Amino acid sequence: MPLEKPAHIARELASHGYTADREAITLLARAGDTAGSLALAVEATPDGALKLTKEDVREALETRPEGRRDPISEAEPPSADTETPPREESATTAAGGDRGGKPDEGDGQDPLVSTGTGGDRTEDGNGGSPLETEGSSGITAGSETGSEAPNGIGQTAETAGAGTGVTDEEATRTADPSLRSLEVENDMTGYSTGTGEYGDFVSTFRDRYERLAGTLRGRVNHRNATALEASPGGGDAGMVGMISDIRSTASGHWLVELEDTTGTFPCLVMKDKEIAGLVEELLYDEVIGVEGTLSDDGGILFVDDLYFPDVPRTYEPSTADRHVQAALISDIHVGSQEFVADAWSEFASWLHTPEAADIEYLLIAGDMVEGVGVYPDQDEELDVVDIFEQYRTFSEHLKEVPGDIEIVMIPGNHDAVRLAEPQPGFDEELRGIMTAHDARIASNPALVTVEGVSVLMYHGVSLDEVIAELPEEKANYDEPHRAMYQLLKKRHVAPQFGDHTRLAPEAKDYLVIGEVPDVFHTGHVHKLGWGKYRNVLSVNSGCWQAQTAFQKSVNIDPDVGYAPILDLDTLEMTVRKFT
Amino acid sequence: MRPDDERYFERLEADLEDALAVARTARERGGDPTESVEIPIARDMADRVENILGIEGVAARVREMEADPDLSREEAALELAADFAEGTVGDYETRAGKVEGAVRTAVALLTEGVVAAPIEGIDRVEILENDDGTEFINIYYAGPIRSAGGTAQALSVLVADYTRTLVGIEKYHPRSEEVERYAEELSLYDDETGLQYAPKDAEAKFIAEHLPIMLDGEPTGDEEVSGFRDLERVDTNNARGGMCLVLGEGIAQKAPKIQRYTSQLEEIDWPWLQDLIDGTYKESKGEGESEEIEGEDGTHEGDDSDGEADESDGETGEGTETGPADIEDPPRPDPETKFLRDLIAGRPVFGHPSEEGGFRLRYGRARNHGFATAGVHPATMHLVDDFLAAGTQIKTERPGKAAGVIPVDTIEGPTVKLANGDVRRIDDPEEALAVRNGVEAILDAGEYLVNYGEFVENNHPLAPASYTVEWWREDMAAAGADVQALEDAPRVDLEHPSAGRALAWVEEYDVPLHPAYTYLWHDLDIERFRALAEAASGGEWVEADGAAVGTPETTEARTLVVPNTDPVREALEVLLVEHTQGEETLTVPDAVPLVRSLGLTDDLEPTWRTLSAAAREWDDGGNAHRAVNEVAPFEVRERAPTRIGSRMGRPEKSEKRDLSPAVHTLFPIGEAGGAQRNVADAASHTDSMRDTPGELEAQVGRRRCRSCETSTFRARCPECNDVTEPHYVCHSCDIDVEPDEAGRAICPRCESEADAVQRTTIDVHGEYRSALENVGERENAFDVLKGVKGLSSEHKVPEPIEKGILRAKNGVSSFKDGTVRYDMTDLPVTSVRAAELDVSVGQLKSLGYGTDIHGEPLTHEDQLVELRVQDIVLSDGAAEHMMRTADFVDDLLEQYYGLEPFYELETREDLVGELVFGMAPHTSAAVVGRVIGFTSAAVGYAHPYFHAAKRRNCFHPETKLWYQDDDGWHYEEIETLVESRLENPEKDDFGTLVQELDGDVYVPSVTEEGRDVIRPVTAVSKHVAPEHMLQIGTESGRTLRVTPDHTMLRLDEGGDGDSPASIERIPASELEVGDPLPVHTQRWETATSPGSTGRVPEPVRTDGGNEFDTITSVKYNKSDIENTYCLTVKYTNTVSANGIYTGQCDGDEDCVMLLMDGLINFSKTFLPDQRGGRMDAPLVMSSRIDPAEIDDEAHNMDIVSSYPREFYEATREMADPDAVEELIQLGEDTLGTDEEYRGFDHTHDTEDIAAGPDLSAYKTLGDMMEKMNAQLELARKLRAVDETDVAERVIEYHFLPDIIGNLRAFSRQETRCLDCGEKFRRVPLTGECRACGGRVNLTVHEGSVKKYIDTAIRVAEEYGCREYTRQRLEILDRSVESIFEDDTNKQSGIADFM
Repeated sequence: MPLEKPAHIARELASHGYTADREAITLLARAGDTAGSLALAVEATPDGALKLTKEDVREALETRPEGRRDPISEAEPPSADTETPPREESATTAAGGDRGGKPDEGDGQDPLVSTGTGGDRTEDGNGGSPLETEGSSGITAGSETGSEAPNGIGQTAETAGAGTGVTDEEATRTADPSLRSLEVENDMTGYSTGTGEYGDFVSTFRDRYERLAGTLRGRVNHRNATALEASPGGGDAGMVGMISDIRSTASGHWLVELEDTTGTFPCLVMKDKEIAGLVEELLYDEVIGVEGTLSDDGGILFVDDLYFPDVPRTYEPSTADRHVQAALISDIHVGSQEFVADAWSEFASWLHTPEAADIEYLLIAGDMVEGVGVYPDQDEELDVVDIFEQYRTFSEHLKEVPGDIEIVMIPGNHDAVRLAEPQPGFDEELRGIMTAHDARIASNPALVTVEGVSVLMYHGVSLDEVIAELPEEKANYDEPHRAMYQLLKKRHVAPQFGDHTRLAPEAKDYLVIGEVPDVFHTGHVHKLGWGKYRNVLSVNSGCWQAQTAFQKSVNIDPDVGYAPILDLDTLEMTVRKFT
Repeated sequence: MRPDDERYFERLEADLEDALAVARTARERGGDPTESVEIPIARDMADRVENILGIEGVAARVREMEADPDLSREEAALELAADFAEGTVGDYETRAGKVEGAVRTAVALLTEGVVAAPIEGIDRVEILENDDGTEFINIYYAGPIRSAGGTAQALSVLVADYTRTLVGIEKYHPRSEEVERYAEELSLYDDETGLQYAPKDAEAKFIAEHLPIMLDGEPTGDEEVSGFRDLERVDTNNARGGMCLVLGEGIAQKAPKIQRYTSQLEEIDWPWLQDLIDGTYKESKGEGESEEIEGEDGTHEGDDSDGEADESDGETGEGTETGPADIEDPPRPDPETKFLRDLIAGRPVFGHPSEEGGFRLRYGRARNHGFATAGVHPATMHLVDDFLAAGTQIKTERPGKAAGVIPVDTIEGPTVKLANGDVRRIDDPEEALAVRNGVEAILDAGEYLVNYGEFVENNHPLAPASYTVEWWREDMAAAGADVQALEDAPRVDLEHPSAGRALAWVEEYDVPLHPAYTYLWHDLDIERFRALAEAASGGEWVEADGAAVGTPETTEARTLVVPNTDPVREALEVLLVEHTQGEETLTVPDAVPLVRSLGLTDDLEPTWRTLSAAAREWDDGGNAHRAVNEVAPFEVRERAPTRIGSRMGRPEKSEKRDLSPAVHTLFPIGEAGGAQRNVADAASHTDSMRDTPGELEAQVGRRRCRSCETSTFRARCPECNDVTEPHYVCHSCDIDVEPDEAGRAICPRCESEADAVQRTTIDVHGEYRSALENVGERENAFDVLKGVKGLSSEHKVPEPIEKGILRAKNGVSSFKDGTVRYDMTDLPVTSVRAAELDVSVGQLKSLGYGTDIHGEPLTHEDQLVELRVQDIVLSDGAAEHMMRTADFVDDLLEQYYGLEPFYELETREDLVGELVFGMAPHTSAAVVGRVIGFTSAAVGYAHPYFHAAKRRNCFHPETKLWYQDDDGWHYEEIETLVESRLENPEKDDFGTLVQELDGDVYVPSVTEEGRDVIRPVTAVSKHVAPEHMLQIGTESGRTLRVTPDHTMLRLDEGGDGDSPASIERIPASELEVGDPLPVHTQRWETATSPGSTGRVPEPVRTDGGNEFDTITSVKYNKSDIENTYCLTVKYTNTVSANGIYTGQCDGDEDCVMLLMDGLINFSKTFLPDQRGGRMDAPLVMSSRIDPAEIDDEAHNMDIVSSYPREFYEATREMADPDAVEELIQLGEDTLGTDEEYRGFDHTHDTEDIAAGPDLSAYKTLGDMMEKMNAQLELARKLRAVDETDVAERVIEYHFLPDIIGNLRAFSRQETRCLDCGEKFRRVPLTGECRACGGRVNLTVHEGSVKKYIDTAIRVAEEYGCREYTRQRLEILDRSVESIFEDDTNKQSGIADFM
């Protein structure tokens, strides 16, 4: 017996011009005769008020002759009665238990140490069968809501197994907006000052060089290209430069041409050096530092050490002061015939459940809609052909999400903004359409700080290029987070110019990862993957678009309907699947 | 052959001989590289076989055997083998030599002497020893044997075996490891290169065990066998391509065919063939039988809906009597929209698919119809704003994909509605021009004449025929009328009878109503039919003015006046009833047949009240044809059931062929002549004060006089004028080297290759002055004399400057081989009249035209005469150019060679009767033609057989390219790509198979601005290979083999820094070492992104900017292949092949050369690289066309004067064309008979083959915007065209890709130094040029991104394009703004003040 979905209720209310707080909707959803209850609740709402409160609803329902409750079904979250795919096991586990800081830790296939949802639970350890896992998530959901304690830190183990399964939501589900904090940095929306002149390109790359070189200067004793050229030769030398060319020599060594603001200097990486393996990780136009010895004639630098700007090994991420969660999603593609509206509603409904009560933020990393003209004859595959209607529909879908969730959106390559990066946030017209929840709209990329946790949001177009350019084991589509590690290492979201990535020249390079984020969130490749790189959690969220004809033709199997949920207080992550 | 034809050819050959005599004398005297004319004549196949083999006596023997009708070519080959064995043919001492001669001759014979296989494909034949001490034959094959085809390959083995038995050599007894080796090698070769048929291991071993001849060959691949290596009798461990082909595609695949011959020969016995065929080892599906690989595409077009159509046809044919139960839809072919694809700005649509108001299909062959041609009324040509002219190519809905437009004025013209409301049919081009400005709408584009042969050629089911006079005449005859008598009757006009006459015939013979009074009822819906009938019934007669009362004819010529209401007016417009429109009334003259068709009496009384359900509901009520037949007192046939959609393709062409920059003399002057390559400048050029003016370093030949040993770089000795020979010197050892027989000069000391080229100082000044003096010209005789930068021929022999001076003086320029050429679009014509050719009857008579097509003596200029197969009509431009060439040749003869002038032309009439060479691109054989007249159309008219006697081209089959299809990206050989997609190809005149694709294949491509893009492939094609291919090598090791005329792209780096680099298109044969070629460097294999969503965001992945690679070698190679392949890429027409961006092939333009110019000035020595340089050059000439030897396609032309009634009826059943093939004579039916050169009758005459505009408006209008506006304006006028759709397509296929592409290019562009041209993948951090410190700038600017956006938005608005399209433009506009505008500057909205 399916529940009347909270999302539907929310939508129904919205269509009458009402919003409701979460508890109110939960109450309504539980009521046997939802339609009737709705009517009653609306009637009971004071004239002039547009928001239904739980008090109103309860009052309305209690005055009703019978509000039949079914304790079993109400305890069951929507996701529990759906079939669980094999991935579920890993999907419901969380990353981050491992503090080793090794790049490999995020391997999506390993059932990592579970947290929150049942790290201490024997079921998980013994059985590990999909069914068990499913059960566990269900139970966890119930227990979590039951034992809700606002002082979130260190609560992960405690949540397990506690609770009665019967929820006393009004006591535990207050989302107090005053506790929230949300800041957006590196947002260039409205500050695109480039006019497509040559000088703009120069400024962009100079800014990139200066800022990234800054992070390397401490490690490398930099002498600029002109100075190196002028030097008599011999002796140790170092240089911080932007890669302008990489060639292999006839004898199999690597010639890396580094450029700084004075000129270029050739650096030779011998093939038998250990660092030679790093050469294949290099992309054009990233900034690296090298140290080594100058040749006797001073014409070339033999590289002994090679440094990336990188994330400091000792990096310690910040966390929130309270137990609060954020959902990180992307690639919704409303308007596509393949948009999985049901899964989305499932997700939105779930957000209304007590289990999701801690989710107060929803971060969407681009591709809200399918767009128009993204590829030839796209109109034949569109469910909604009108671009503005697509955003309207998206906005409607967004309304299914609880009204008190804070939303941050950045555009992606399917959105109706310029394709060249950085992409400014949606213009006034589109903002006027997407009014639901008064979402925060930022540029792509943008650094969003949520209760102290900085999340670098970037749509992820450059991932294609990183995956194409780097060796399979360092970046591939099945483990998109590994490609993200590379970007973190290079401290730039799209280093290579001239290939896939389109660059809009601006006064500064907004694509530089200036300050190390606590979380790096991308989408675009439609694959789910996460892991930690030097304590920075990298998440590539899946998508909400089923396999398209094109993807099928190239044998790409997207990860559809996943919602990674991030504990902002612990930076641990759980993944929910909705189908 | 009739004596008359024989006389014609003899005369041509006599004229040719006269010219040759003069040319020979000239060549002996002058400074030409050889003393003789370099174009040999080949009269027939036998000559070609002998020429290609160089074995004397073969031609005679071949002719002898050809004369025996019972002897097949294969049998002839075996007979010749016996001759060789006996020594009666060929002069071979050794037994191996005899076998070799026999084998080569067999291959040459079976390939008709047109491919290089007999020479290049068989390296040698040798005698080796078996393990038992007996001797056996080893044939050493090479890759080029491929071009021989399977049958000839297999037969070569058989012939060898046969000869072997005759000369007494044992069989080959293979060792077991050799047998294994064959099997391994075949599968290796199949993996590496691919075989059409790859035998399984067991089968290969079986064959190898039994073959009486050892097959061997040179290594062709890089891969080595892993198992059976280092065998004693096999030289190589690599796959031997030639051997694999012969064994796999030859023996294994053609076993049944060989068996036919082995069974006839006593001497040889291959019993194992039977096992092979029976399939002990394989499943023989009789594939061996189908040797015509590219032949009969037995598949039928998808649109046979004839099953149902049959019934309905029977019904319409019978008229109204049939029962109402039968309500089948009218027979119609399904609309095809393919031709509309890739519509670009400036090329108008003339009709949407099968749309009412478009061209009406009429069957018939006008005298200027051939293959892929479409007859259009000249009035239509003018009314479509002159976009159509003779020769303009259009893309059509059916039966073929494209057709050249020809003017035919004996079909109906367009029907237009004038601004004053009058609806008129315009059958006169003059009238069309007069009313053109007042045309409000073109209600109907007029008729569209297609010959039956075109349907045969395309194997397209017949489409229902219009009811036309031809058909009606057959109906009359069938009804017993004496049509001939009527035709001869003085006052009867069968085409345009009076209404009274037409009605009288209906009554007298019970035939359907004459087409002149049959309206397009099938286009009218029932509702408006009723409205019209009612209105007519309520209308009134007015007497036509001046009508004499009394005669039966005029009583019927009554004028009807009806009230002007919307449905009635529309009905008349749809029906194409001519009338005038007043405020209140519509006046229809001559309306009695109309009134009767509507079921009214002559007194306008209705004879009916209701229509039967069947009539009402037929075709869902949208077709009043049944209703008319129900109510009319006579039978009415469907007037125009088939409409043919079309749009403009390429414009016609008629222009001189210039190299770029134009070249007058093939004399090297390096950079000293400036960009113009001005010889005079070079002659006074100095690098510094100390140098002597005009002395410069150049690479030229090192030659020595064969008599006096004088050293020179010239072709002739400056001392004794004898011919000089290349003088080879080894670079390292500095010693003279004598070349061996093969022409290779290997240094005996160091074994490196010596060459005969030197870098030396040339005194250009001296050369120039003495040349001027030699020909007695002064510098003011010409504006500028242009030389070349360097010579690309192997021996670098310069042409005498004298020739250049005279070319410059006469305003002609030289092609790479020393000839002067003029290009023209091909059009066919089979009969001509003196009047239209601007010649007199006397001239025609003097050319041997004695009688007209009816056999009457030729007396006046309007009589039609049947064109001789090698007579051609020059365009005005060509004639003018030929005149100048003739003057040049005369000057040359007089002033340079010291001979009498040859031409002495005063007026262009004098050109008539002169001989020319016709050459198709991609060929190396010229056909001798004779000028018969001139046309103002910008085309070359000639007999269809003349055009078909030339063949053409593209990419080497092994060319690899990237493409993306449903399975992702591939890097495959073009052969694989094309062959796997030739499902149901179209075949054109030249044996080219073309398959249109549905856009599921994408390739990397490059735009004119040098941007990388990905574009869909719209068609793939397979061509008959030319004799030679051009091989281009580059610095980075890329190579590419293309046909020499293949369009290549060269990077034009733009002189001044401000203009961005652009891509220019030039024929491959014009490329030179050092030229920069655009390349694409992306690693495409990784480019498939699962990213984003549906598709890779824009299916476009590129690397940035203008990468280029430099040519390091340009070589001609004999082609070792049978076919070449090409593809058509949407919009950019460029593709990356082997990593090099090139154009795709295009064009069916042929060129003409003046005979004497070719004879005197052509030299292979000038061609790039002497050893192979044979392409696009007249290496051989055919002096007479043998219809049997030309491409089969030419034979599918019908040659009758009328089509039978059964044919028209078959069209209504949409029968396959071969169902009526018996009824209509085709060209192929007369092959080999005396009639093969004559009797090309036609069903439709036309007044003037140059009627209509001379040039398409596409060529006369200015820029793209102007063309596009004209295109859209025309779309508005044409009823059959949906202008919104046109606008939509132009935006979709032209503007959007351009804007998107440029926007993309902008954001990933290269930058370039304005001062030194250095390029940077990314801006230098210093901001200035790293090479010279100069100013660096962008290569893609705001301007190129924004170029079309405003126009596109305007067009989208104005023509009501879809919201989807408008939104795409809007979003793009915002994107552009976002990139090029500073947000902080524009925010001065009201918010700033609040």
